[in-house]
Amino acid sequence: MASTQPPALPSSSTQHSGAGGTVQLTNVRKCYGDFVAVENLSLSIKPGRIYGLLGPNGAGKTSTLRMIIGIIVPDSGQISVFGETLKLAHKDRFGYLPEERGLYKKMKVLEHLLLLAQLKGLSANEALKRARSWCDRFELSAWTGKKVEELSKGMQQKVQFIGAVLHDPELIVMDEPFSGLDPASTVVLKDVLLELAKSGKTILLSTHGMDQAEKLCHSICLVNHGRAVLEGDLSQIKAGYGKCNVQIKYDGDARFLQESRLVQSFNDYGNYVEVRLAPGADTQELLKLASAGARLSKFEVMEPSLEEIFIDAVSKPAVSQSAEKSNA
Amino acid sequence: MRNMWLIIRREYLERVRTRSFLILTLLVPGIMTVVMMLPAKLATMSEKTQRLVVVTSTPQFGEMVRQRFLSATTDTDQDDEESPDANSAKKKPEEEYSIDVDANPTEAERAVLRDKVSSEAIDGYLWLSDDAIASGKVTWTSRNMAGFGERSHLSAILNRILQYQRLSANGLTTDKAEQLLKPVKVEAVRLEHGKESKGGGGGKFLEVVVMVMLLYMAVLLYGISVMRSVLEEKTSRILEVLLSSATSTQLMAGKLLGVGAVGLTQILVWVVIAGVFALPAMAMQPSFSELQIPIGVLLAFAIFFLLGYLLYSTMYATIGAITTTEQEGQQLQFFIVIPLVLSVFMLAPVVRSPDAPLVVWLSMVPFFAPVLMYARIVVQTPPLWQIALCLTLLVATIAGLLVLCARIYRIGILIYGKRPNLPEILKWLKYAKA
Repeated sequence: MASTQPPALPSSSTQHSGAGGTVQLTNVRKCYGDFVAVENLSLSIKPGRIYGLLGPNGAGKTSTLRMIIGIIVPDSGQISVFGETLKLAHKDRFGYLPEERGLYKKMKVLEHLLLLAQLKGLSANEALKRARSWCDRFELSAWTGKKVEELSKGMQQKVQFIGAVLHDPELIVMDEPFSGLDPASTVVLKDVLLELAKSGKTILLSTHGMDQAEKLCHSICLVNHGRAVLEGDLSQIKAGYGKCNVQIKYDGDARFLQESRLVQSFNDYGNYVEVRLAPGADTQELLKLASAGARLSKFEVMEPSLEEIFIDAVSKPAVSQSAEKSNA
Repeated sequence: MRNMWLIIRREYLERVRTRSFLILTLLVPGIMTVVMMLPAKLATMSEKTQRLVVVTSTPQFGEMVRQRFLSATTDTDQDDEESPDANSAKKKPEEEYSIDVDANPTEAERAVLRDKVSSEAIDGYLWLSDDAIASGKVTWTSRNMAGFGERSHLSAILNRILQYQRLSANGLTTDKAEQLLKPVKVEAVRLEHGKESKGGGGGKFLEVVVMVMLLYMAVLLYGISVMRSVLEEKTSRILEVLLSSATSTQLMAGKLLGVGAVGLTQILVWVVIAGVFALPAMAMQPSFSELQIPIGVLLAFAIFFLLGYLLYSTMYATIGAITTTEQEGQQLQFFIVIPLVLSVFMLAPVVRSPDAPLVVWLSMVPFFAPVLMYARIVVQTPPLWQIALCLTLLVATIAGLLVLCARIYRIGILIYGKRPNLPEILKWLKYAKA
């Protein structure tokens, strides 16, 4: 698990674009009828980074991703990619993995991959060569002649992933890439993503799994109800919150959690509780109080987990942490 | 362009490779053959040797009827020209009938014959007593009413015989009578651009109906196929992946052209099959030999199939885009089918008077044109300007519909939830313009 720390930021990685970053959204808004899916969203994704778009279901993640790859058009606001305004010609430089996986069920795996790659402008020969090597890597070689519908769901996902990266895109956009994958496949996919990021590709993924994002992403944007509640570098965000959380594993009297002078809020995970300290509270005082009534097996002062940050950010009125935006 | 080509190729190959394509391609000519041949075949099958009895007081007269009846078919052919189907099914009369003459027209004999008919010893008897002949009303008794063929046949023969009899009773010789009674045959000649072609209206009408039904079926079949495949792409969510590589217009155009190419292939196969197998068979059947289809009509068929298909399948694709299930699609497709069905209903008047002003203008209406203008071309080539105007209108309508429907398509294909209502669709049209 330790290996899943974000890799060192490629300080001098291949830069494809100007100062604006690989993807730049400015005040983007999207409505479906009366429903506002995305409201005044701004974010900036730097090249060669893994960027996580996080939020609960229905927060507007998928709409945002679809706008970035040009499937849908924002009602207002600007989207630029690779330093230019989004246009049709950019499509071949994207790789897209939609949340709802979609493949032609009757097509054979290899033919399907060739179709997807050729649609992205690859020649048939090149596509065939790359498809073979990717299938080897995902242990799909024995299945290339089968129809998609004969594959298990997990295998179909792998095919879909290969289809998204076959043309070696500069920007890889993935909607919930880990959902539905078994642990082994998750590790394979995660390794591939890290490798792609190291080779200078920009990766944008959406997830509602905070754990996954915390391990993988360099930068994040938390969205809730279509608004960005938090955007920026993950380590900076966490540092900004400071070491104000305590993880306590205890057995016995839990009354110390009710001490509002020390505890601002807490979250019981079953095996342990994560306590958010009240401003100015002393950790030693909490330790004393807790140990007075309960047996403690763990008492650790730490940065808040992404989940805590998310819950905290969502419960407050929308305030953007990334300094420039604050629309309360 | 490259993307559209890739989509066309996929649609085409995926369809042509399926087993159902192969089956349908081979089955339809088979079904058509069966449909055309079956009634004739059935009629022949029912006619195993019929055992008939002619009852008359004068055996010579009975013998004459018998002779006439057995040798009559060639004679009477000319009389009942309006029912060519019946003729084509006829076997040789000697195999068909065995006729006995009974010279005992008494009520007792009548009862015996009745019993024989009931017990299936004979198939029927003809009561030609002197009274009956004098009154001009003779009775044909048989078990089933299916003896219709015999009845008209019989009355024609009997009339002829009685006419001979009456003439000879008035002192005419048989030769003279024969000469007087020689029937006149009407030969239909179609005059077009100074060229004469033989062939009655019957064959022409058959040709129009067969080709129009083929056109109608093909347009409908492939239109529905387009709608299905849009729906399938929606439900399998492949569209989102495709949209990240190609535009919705490319996807829609690629699908329409790909499926259309499949349709043309199928029709081409049918034409070839028809040419190889059916034409020799048709040449044997005198009435079908009139079905010779000139190359210009075939070309018109291909053009009007393609344009009709494009017109209707564009709408079908749109329905596929704004619905989420096939049931919903089936309900909406009703509106599309109406003009198509209407134009088939209008077929009969169009064939009867292809250059009546109303017909001319109706055949210009793009939604009717594929059927009506095509039918007019088959029946009587209309003036060139009319064809040109009709094609221009049709192509313009298709182009306009393509633009409109591509807009609806673009938004509709990403909508999975409820079906949009009309105001929403209008909003999409406006929105997609931007």
